[in-house]
Amino acid sequence: MTAICLYAQVHQPFRLRPYGLFDIGTGAEYFDTEQNRALLRRVAEKCYLPANRLLADQIRRSQGEFRLALSLSGTLLDQLAAWAPEVLQSFQELVATGGVELLGETYHHSLASLASEAEFVAQVERHRAAIGRHFGQRPVVFRNTELIYWDNLAPLIARLGFRGVMVEGADHVLDWRSANHVYAATTAPGLRLLPRHYRLSDDIGFRFSNRAWDGWPLTAEKHADWIAASGGDSVHLYVDYETFGEHQWADTGIFAFLAQWPRECLRRGLTFAHPGTLAARAPVAPLAFTRPTSWADVERDTTAWLGNRLQEAAQQRIYGMREAVLAARDPEVLERWRRLTTSDHLYYMCTKWFADGDVHKYFSPYESPYDAFVACMNVLQDLEQSLPVPMVEAAPPALAARRMLAARRAAMV
Amino acid sequence: MFGWEFPPFQAGGLATATVGLVKGLLRNRVGVTLVVPFPAEQSPLPELRLVSADGAVEELVMHRVPSPMTPYGGAAEYQEIFSTLRRASRAPGAVYGADLFAEVARYAALAGGIAAREAHDVIDTHDWITFAAGLAARAVSGKPLIAHIHATEYDRAGAGANPEICRREHAGMQAADRVVANSHALKRTCVERYGIPAGKIDVVHWGIDPDAVAPDLPAESPFRARGAGARVPVVLFLGRVTWQKGPDYFIEMAGRVAAHVPGAKFVVAGQGDMLPRLMHRTAELGIADRVHFAGAVAGRQVQRLYRLADVCVMPSVSEPFGLVGLESLRHGTPCILPRAAGVSEVIANAFKVDFWDLDAMTNQIVALLRHPALRAELADNARREVEGPRFSLEEPARLTAAAYTRTLQGSPA
Repeated sequence: MTAICLYAQVHQPFRLRPYGLFDIGTGAEYFDTEQNRALLRRVAEKCYLPANRLLADQIRRSQGEFRLALSLSGTLLDQLAAWAPEVLQSFQELVATGGVELLGETYHHSLASLASEAEFVAQVERHRAAIGRHFGQRPVVFRNTELIYWDNLAPLIARLGFRGVMVEGADHVLDWRSANHVYAATTAPGLRLLPRHYRLSDDIGFRFSNRAWDGWPLTAEKHADWIAASGGDSVHLYVDYETFGEHQWADTGIFAFLAQWPRECLRRGLTFAHPGTLAARAPVAPLAFTRPTSWADVERDTTAWLGNRLQEAAQQRIYGMREAVLAARDPEVLERWRRLTTSDHLYYMCTKWFADGDVHKYFSPYESPYDAFVACMNVLQDLEQSLPVPMVEAAPPALAARRMLAARRAAMV
Repeated sequence: MFGWEFPPFQAGGLATATVGLVKGLLRNRVGVTLVVPFPAEQSPLPELRLVSADGAVEELVMHRVPSPMTPYGGAAEYQEIFSTLRRASRAPGAVYGADLFAEVARYAALAGGIAAREAHDVIDTHDWITFAAGLAARAVSGKPLIAHIHATEYDRAGAGANPEICRREHAGMQAADRVVANSHALKRTCVERYGIPAGKIDVVHWGIDPDAVAPDLPAESPFRARGAGARVPVVLFLGRVTWQKGPDYFIEMAGRVAAHVPGAKFVVAGQGDMLPRLMHRTAELGIADRVHFAGAVAGRQVQRLYRLADVCVMPSVSEPFGLVGLESLRHGTPCILPRAAGVSEVIANAFKVDFWDLDAMTNQIVALLRHPALRAELADNARREVEGPRFSLEEPARLTAAAYTRTLQGSPA
């Protein structure tokens, strides 16, 4: 009997103001509170509230047969607590049905796994504490930002107490294998890998409303048939939570689909399983990820965030500041810096405009990736010069850049 | 006079020069009817009001003709503006030409109507876009036509010059009764490249509008240095970020200077098609944290930039005059001038350099940053020079008025 593992990612970043040269040193706010609040309210109205209600209803009606996993970033939790406490409560009610397993991730939805082990650990632990505080759960399965995972990361995730990881079922990783099994990490044999079935996932996440797609219109019956036909032990469907009502608007029929879909799956003898349950199963085989793999774009690599030199320069500057930020011993400064580690800031600087680039454009508050770069670098300058302790004089820039590239290459081997 | 004024956030030497000339002419008791293209979609500028030294309001008649033409608009840029307006479908007050040349023709037709209504003795035009309007006006009134040339297509685009624009520049200068160039260098271009007889061309160097400068503005830098009394040296580029202005040489220079003066910052102020390339190059050189892009700047921000900079650099590939040089010096900031520019013909107290000579440029800038005495000496002497009567608004206007008179009397210079 094939189990369905449904997981949705819930995240909002703290977007920056169009922070200009003349804002540096003025004490001007980094983050666009007004815009961030407005966007959160909009997504809450269009997605979080109706989707939470619908899912809670489905869980109750199926008497717990239908279940799923959610991962809520810490930046989202902060925004909900500050600007939409009733929405946070709605998530808590959904989790209280018992049908939702919460996953672990970096609190600030960052790329720390690619830059700083210490920062990665700190953010994961902070997230775990927040999930315990808000929901009374201790996550046992981990999802890294944008599903970024590679073999070198596995021992660290295992050491942090997780028994499973959500990973991308990328073709270059699976090759001839099926995504519909539980695999083992090659570098941490106790750690289970649950590869995403990207086609069946993207049918909902990306293609649902695409009239040029030959699968359109996608009905719950049709999708349940496809899942049943794909076979294997477990089908892992991972999407952005904002798929429901925000990326796919209500008028596309996405909520009607979601209301019918669990019943259609159950009717075909499919079951639903939490990632934690699957991660307790014996793996069918080890699965090697020789380089950082994500769920983004057609490349399924990290080039959406670190694919050009601007992004590399910004990332290098962010993490180059960490010691000085910590030395400031100011929780507010630390939080401001950590909000800059959120991957979205680098994503806005992506210059891969073609093919899947339009997706990037849709999600960016900037006119161009260059505007994103300018605002971010100005903010970093302000933060850097406001720190009481000078940054450790870095190696000559060119050398530092080479080192970083070398480290990234080593990480890929 | 068919000239230009500033649309919001679109500063440029051509508008500064024509507005300055109008002011100067009025002070020389020459009445002016100024016709300028002005995009109807933009909020209107305050009416240009000019008061002479003795308080009498001089005779100025303004005609703002709705048109999206810009002083530096190439054919492609016009196309972009035009399609943006069309998409916005904000029903422009007039039906604009579908391409730049069609718009120039439409503008010229309107110019003929204005010439029929407004009494005048001489027609003055500023650069090729207005030449057609001037010819149309002359056809109506039969008054002599002056072609004021500020830059040619060769200056703006080099080998990429648009042949149709060159043809129109040639036709305008050829047909004009007299040509006024803003430097000897530009006069040479008109003679050598366009075959205009040297005897037909007057050289009138630009002056500077005291209303447009704030030499005593406090030098407030956004950058903060560590340690008492320490300051962050700032090197400034201000201008359109296009081939003509050599911003790429500025970045190359920045890479070299950064190695010698560790704390130095570099500011690129202006918009243009080369920005993306420059940002990538800063990352490549490992100086992304040293170069700040200020984007479009206007008014007070321009003055602040001059004041806070330690040195201003003009690595222009081609610079017929170079008003930025005068402005910078007037604000007490030493400027490295392009050797072949018009401004270099009339300023003694400045370093002069060829855009390709990065060694010399680096050498001069490092010396200026390291030696406050050199900076102060150069700044004071140059400022005294620029404050002289030669660079007032009245002097170039007096020379221009003299050229009008000579033309009216039909006698060559």
